[in-house]
Amino acid sequence: MKRRSMLLAVVMAALLLPLAAWAQVLDPVVSTDWLEKNLGNAKLVMVDVRKVEDYKAGHIPGAVNVFYGTWAIKKGDLLNELPPADDLADAIGGAGIAADSWVVLIGNTAPPPARFDMTRVAWTLKYMGVDQVAILDGGQEKWVKEKKALSQDMVRPKARPFKGKMNKGLFVSKAYVADRLGKAVIVDVRAPAAFEGKEKLPFVPKTGRIKGAVNLPVSALYTPEGLYKSKDALAALASKAAGTDPGREIILYCDTGKTCTSWAFVMSSWLGYRDVKIYDGSFMEWAKDSAAPMEP
Amino acid sequence: MDKDLLGKDVHLKLPCKLCHQGDDSIVSKDKAHKGLVRRPSDNLQKCAMCHKKIVETYGKSLHYTTAGQREGVRPRFSPSEFKAFEEKVFEKSCRSCHASCGDCHVKSPPVSGIGLGLIRGHKFVKKDEGKTCAFCHGGRVYPEFTGEFGGSPDVHYQKGMMCMDCHRKAEMHGDGTAYQSKQAVKDRPACISCHRQMTSPKLYVRAAHEGHKDKVSCYGCHSSGQYRDCSGCHLGPGSKSSAGFRLGLNPRDGKSLTTLRLVPAVRDTFASAGIKMEHFDALPNYWDSPVHNIRKRTDRTRNCDTCHVEKTGFLTREQLIRDGSTANSRLICPIRPITR
Repeated sequence: MKRRSMLLAVVMAALLLPLAAWAQVLDPVVSTDWLEKNLGNAKLVMVDVRKVEDYKAGHIPGAVNVFYGTWAIKKGDLLNELPPADDLADAIGGAGIAADSWVVLIGNTAPPPARFDMTRVAWTLKYMGVDQVAILDGGQEKWVKEKKALSQDMVRPKARPFKGKMNKGLFVSKAYVADRLGKAVIVDVRAPAAFEGKEKLPFVPKTGRIKGAVNLPVSALYTPEGLYKSKDALAALASKAAGTDPGREIILYCDTGKTCTSWAFVMSSWLGYRDVKIYDGSFMEWAKDSAAPMEP
Repeated sequence: MDKDLLGKDVHLKLPCKLCHQGDDSIVSKDKAHKGLVRRPSDNLQKCAMCHKKIVETYGKSLHYTTAGQREGVRPRFSPSEFKAFEEKVFEKSCRSCHASCGDCHVKSPPVSGIGLGLIRGHKFVKKDEGKTCAFCHGGRVYPEFTGEFGGSPDVHYQKGMMCMDCHRKAEMHGDGTAYQSKQAVKDRPACISCHRQMTSPKLYVRAAHEGHKDKVSCYGCHSSGQYRDCSGCHLGPGSKSSAGFRLGLNPRDGKSLTTLRLVPAVRDTFASAGIKMEHFDALPNYWDSPVHNIRKRTDRTRNCDTCHVEKTGFLTREQLIRDGSTANSRLICPIRPITR
């Protein structure tokens, strides 16, 4: 009996080994207090994604500046698209990030869309093969509000060639989404009024949603103070919308391909969903195509 | 005015009336503000009380004289037309774009009647490019630099550089010479000032630089893509801007390939001032543009065929603006296939 238990444990460990390689060691959401205690951690690379002028006015000591426009660019009509991979690799290596670095992303949380800069960058880092990525809860504003140390010294990281194993499947195209309708869980993270087809942003061609999508609004991620809700609370919300099967394919979208990375990052890095993707072109691309299935 | 700032800046230790006039011995606000000067630095001599040397050169700088706007269009006029232009257009319209000291160091200047207000609560700031340079040069240059117009941002901004990392103080304050245009200024920023040697280990990179040397400007290959182009200027209803990218011959030398931007003066631009522009065709409508969206890799550096086979972005006869200058066609560059 004892031998059978041991054998079972060995088999289980072997099965879990591939997952362990992907496991998030660094908490995906870190507090300002945690970061303050870890400022000297050699494994840690703090990346401030705010504009250069904001960074120069005052930043967390030791943080390097790689502003948001480095990570997502406007291509044609689409607002948040991936830059070429070689440019991304240059930016990552230039910031002193290695594939096994622990990266904490620092950005603004106001105005509201700005907070998603951090998660879009986190998602892009994971796409490029940096697995240990975290978001600073409350962002730069909370750090400043708590009167923690600030620096105006430009940090010049030691650049290194970056080589990571790309996870190309994290971003998917319109054709891919169309092919997975009725098979994958399609999650619309926009506000309920947009999901229900009652309103839209000016640059989105039409009201409505992708056919068969479920709604999991980004606003549900945060407490009234603007911090992330507890893991249990978020797990309950996610499972209600997207189910409890951690292996089920989930594709998230929003209007521009930025805000949807918030739930994508939380679901994959924190809640254990293993097959999470985002639709980069999102609804502004989908709604432009008259043949793309929509409702209501 | 934030009272907490008083005394924290050397300027704010001085009495307000030294710059703004008024009477600080009267309690009544209305009476104390009688004769108030809102923009003291419009009179450069106010600043010269302490900053004499800077004011001496600044009064001749292009930011103050805006001479480039006058000289840039001058060849289109007959001598009598130019005189009329100076009086009726330049002084009343173009010159309104001149910057006084306070526009850069205290309060963002109003552009088309809209201003951003004090830069840092009436503090005197040495520089804050995102608020000052960006406001006047925000129609084209700054959003190109930060990538807000689309495409990748300028690699220099991405690496933390701002305007004053390339454009030096002497360019802002002048060097004492009253230049007629920025092209006449010596020691302007140039890529080669920092990137002196091409030391890439890759043979094709070295060969590309050697082969294009003196034939193509750095922008010609390293502009990341679309930049802002204006049209409809000076036509009455106001200008429009759209994304564009044009490669053509530099009108200043007629032989090197570079990025061009449309400067859409039309034949009747100054008709309302009674100026016909007798020599309208002396100048083209497209001018060499030092675009601010530089990248190491672009579509053209990634693939020679982009220019040599597909001819992407090259100015063509079909693209020339309607009823534009006859000089425009001289900027169309014949593209040669690569020969080995």
